Amino acid sequence: MPEIIALQRQFEAVGYVAEPALAAALLLMLKLDRPLLVEGDAGVGKTEIAKALAAARGARLIRLQCYEGLDVHAAMYEWNYQRQLLAIKLLENDERPTAVKEQDIFSERYLLKRPLLEAISCAEQPVLLIDEVDRADEAFEAYLLELLSDFQMSIPELGTVRAVTKPLVVITSNGTRELSDALRRRCLYQYIDYPTFAKELAIVEIRAPQAAGHLARQVVDFVQSVRRLELQKKPGIAETLDWTAALLRLGIATINDDGAERILDTLSALIKTRGDRAGFTREVVARIAATC
Amino acid sequence: MLTHASPPAAELGTVLRARLTGFTGFLRANGFGVGGADAVGVLDTSQHMGILDPQVLHWSLKALLCGRGDDWRRFDRLFDAYFLPPNKSLFAQSNFGAAGTRDAADACDAAGARRDAAEFEAAPGTDQGVAGELDADSARHGASREESLASTDFGELNQAQQAYEIETLMRHFAKRLKRLRLRRETAYHHGRRLDLQATIRRSVSCGGTPIRLAWKEYRRVRPRLVLLVDVSRSMRLYSFFYMRLARALCAELADVRCFIFHTRLTDVGAALSDPDPWRAQERLHLLAIGWAGGTRIGECLRDFNRDHGARLIHSRTAVIVVSDGYDTGEPTLLAQSLAALRRRARRVVWLNPLLNQRGYTPESRGMQAAMPHVDLLAPGADLASIERVLPRILETLR
Repeated sequence: MPEIIALQRQFEAVGYVAEPALAAALLLMLKLDRPLLVEGDAGVGKTEIAKALAAARGARLIRLQCYEGLDVHAAMYEWNYQRQLLAIKLLENDERPTAVKEQDIFSERYLLKRPLLEAISCAEQPVLLIDEVDRADEAFEAYLLELLSDFQMSIPELGTVRAVTKPLVVITSNGTRELSDALRRRCLYQYIDYPTFAKELAIVEIRAPQAAGHLARQVVDFVQSVRRLELQKKPGIAETLDWTAALLRLGIATINDDGAERILDTLSALIKTRGDRAGFTREVVARIAATC
Repeated sequence: MLTHASPPAAELGTVLRARLTGFTGFLRANGFGVGGADAVGVLDTSQHMGILDPQVLHWSLKALLCGRGDDWRRFDRLFDAYFLPPNKSLFAQSNFGAAGTRDAADACDAAGARRDAAEFEAAPGTDQGVAGELDADSARHGASREESLASTDFGELNQAQQAYEIETLMRHFAKRLKRLRLRRETAYHHGRRLDLQATIRRSVSCGGTPIRLAWKEYRRVRPRLVLLVDVSRSMRLYSFFYMRLARALCAELADVRCFIFHTRLTDVGAALSDPDPWRAQERLHLLAIGWAGGTRIGECLRDFNRDHGARLIHSRTAVIVVSDGYDTGEPTLLAQSLAALRRRARRVVWLNPLLNQRGYTPESRGMQAAMPHVDLLAPGADLASIERVLPRILETLR
């Protein structure tokens, strides 16, 4: 389908390699106006989807990082109390009736827009990234559902704010908590796995053009072998890119078993837990490097 | 890609619509959480994305209809089964069933194929070809569908029926699980031993005449059960069943702790007690994800002793290990850990699903190392065998 290919091209231009399945889902997301829920292991490029989408469409990216205890004030809006207090002081000598003064104090000038309000009041369609929604609690999820179905928000003092343009919503989840079925039903779904050799190679070549060619192949081969090992935390794409950068910085142009010592020095970019690091002895590295 | 014979052009639209919306029903029958609104979504999607390119339709519907990782992994096969012409899906199916079923390593694939076949049959509106293949499939395994439930292998059981059977058996087990007598005494409504102190205290209100007697009895408690279930590749055929069993047991008894092990040990108590069975399954799946590889029973038991032993195991704890004993770790470590566990716990029972298979003797190094340190080694491949060994287990736990 030409539209899918065009979308893939657009993404490639901003440095994101989108598989056709993902491109189809993104296209569908644009056409059906539905949020996209992305799940997968850490470091497979879930958040990057939103960034790439924003870059590809030249849209603004608004990011809401979820965390435990995230509340309405941090996610939607908050009144700027200090300014309001100051305004009250200043208005003390004002002759206008109280009702008018009150309306003035609760006007949009004193409203601090947080990401969600920001997203629905943009004039041009922004990309709203709700990152790691599983970290927020269920009450927030319910609130989010309301927003995602109507794209409007009620602020008691101001009235209802309706979306000027519907934002493109990308939600990511790491699976630390089971999301509600209601949220899942409302979204398109995409599960991102660790990349295949070809995809990862393409990513490395786009993101680290200096490594293109022999080194990139070896790097990807090495990382793919590492992922097959039994690790607590498998390296994601971000780690691959970090490691490539580390290799380039140290001037390592080829991976072979002779250079195992030097590779060992750079492994801190790839292996992120102590238990996993302990398993990577010189012999292990040399063995993997020999097969690359 | 649609398999119907060419109807008149006017009807084509209706047929197409019915076929497309029928897919949601097919998915629902296979356990997807899709509803009526999704049928509309399917039509919308097909309008936007076109239906002429099967790949595009596949990707779009996958994004639309999947809700969780489990759905995501199963979708491809279901899509093919529904939309591909029968001969093609037949081809895919027979490739699946071709795995050597008696080989322990391949058993999981075969079980998967059988379960898939059952899935396909359960769904209405499936093509004849799939059902035909199903018959061939069961013929190959030499077992008919009417075979008595009690002795069917777990992989072939219908979920609802199996759940019911398991629950009944576990209720039975819980009822018969004898309470252990402690030395501490507690008040009782009636009994053989008079609680003098309490009787005199009660007599005060009657002017010192002991009219209402108080009784005491030795306190009895149910043993705490700790389940350690091996979910390694060789156990794939049985681990799912044991998870259901553990779930039913958790519902019946208050003091049950459940762990799964593989190359690592994980507490699955919270996941098992999830009220939604589908979600429980999904959570278990998440917990078990990405652990392919051998079994290291010894190390897992050592970890259990170190991390949970002191907290969970007391003199009234019965530990039930479920494993086939195929261990890639050190047998001496297994023996040591099991001995340590047995010193701490009241009883150690080992259930081995392979034990009542013809021609199987517990010769594997793991089993050899474990045998001296268990109180009871019993088979447990299906409900019937569990039912048979239940009295022995109860006897041992006493």
